[in-house]
Amino acid sequence: MKKTCSRYTPEKISRFVDNELSQDQYYAVSQHIIHCPDCNRLAGQYKSLSAVFNDHADQQKLQINPDRLRQKLLQNTPCSKKNLLGNILVFFSKNIYLQLASIAVILIICLFSFQGSLFGPTGPSAIVTSVDTDFTSVMIIETQKEKHTIIWFSET
Amino acid sequence: MVKLIKIILIFTGISCFYFFSRPVFAAGRVLTDVKVIHASMGPGHIDPGLKKIISELESVFKYTSYRLLKDRRLNLGFNQEGRVDLPGKRTLIVMPTDMDGKRIRYQINIKKNNHLIFKTRVLLRNDSSITIGGPKFNNGFLLFNISGSMR
Repeated sequence: MKKTCSRYTPEKISRFVDNELSQDQYYAVSQHIIHCPDCNRLAGQYKSLSAVFNDHADQQKLQINPDRLRQKLLQNTPCSKKNLLGNILVFFSKNIYLQLASIAVILIICLFSFQGSLFGPTGPSAIVTSVDTDFTSVMIIETQKEKHTIIWFSET
Repeated sequence: MVKLIKIILIFTGISCFYFFSRPVFAAGRVLTDVKVIHASMGPGHIDPGLKKIISELESVFKYTSYRLLKDRRLNLGFNQEGRVDLPGKRTLIVMPTDMDGKRIRYQINIKKNNHLIFKTRVLLRNDSSITIGGPKFNNGFLLFNISGSMR
C-alpha cells in the first residue's frame, strides 16, 4: 500500500481502523486523516479490506452447525462415561471365561454371606445376657482366635 | 439392549438363588449338642472328639488332659427342655427359647441334688458353641460345651 505522509506509519493507521488505539491517539489520527489525503486513502483501503475479511468470516460462521460440532466433540472425548461403560461391556462380552469367573465370584460371595461372615466370626460365639448362681465367683472369658465364649463359675 | 437384558437376567438369577437358599428359621428345630469334658492336670490326653474346640480351651486353660465323658445330641423345639445327667448328681438343662437375628437364645440351668446352682441366658451364634465350666470332679474340673444349630 502506497503512502507518502510520514506522520503516521501504516501500522498505526491499521490499528486506528481496527480501533486498537488509545482514546487520545485515536482522536489525533482521526483529525489528521481529515486533512491528509494519503492517510485518508490508506485508512479507506484498510477499512474495505477489513470489511471483506469480516464478511467472509461471517459466511463461514453461518455454515457451522453448533449441535453437530458438540456431538463430534463428545464422540472424540476419550474419558466420557458412556464410552467407558461401553468399553467395559465389550470387554466382558468378548471373554466368556471372564463372564464365568465373574458369576462364580458373585456366587461364592453370596454363599459366604448367608452361611456366615466372609472374614471370620463377628462378635463372640455367645452373648451372655444374664447369670444367676449361688456362688460368688463367675468369670466370662472370650478366646482371642475364634471369640469362643467361656463361663467359669467356682463351686466353693 | 440384548446385553442389558442378559445382565438383568444374570442378576435376577443370582438374587433368586441368594434369597431362596437362605435357611428358614421360623418353624425349625434346634440341634443342640452337649459335650461333657473332664479337664485335669493328669497324664496328657486329648480326646479326638474335642478336636474342634481344643485349641480354644488350651488358649485359656493350662490343663494337660481333656477327656470327653459324654456327648449328647438333642433335637429340641423352642421352649422344649433337654436334660443331660452330669457326674456328681448334677443335671444340665438346656432350652432354646427363641431367635434373635442369627443367634439362638438359650436358657441353661445346672442343678445339683435337684437344687438350682447355676442359671444363665445366652444368645448363641448359629452353628457355634459356648463352654461352661467350674464344677470340681475327680481331681479336675467339668466343662460343658454346648453348641446350637438351627435347622
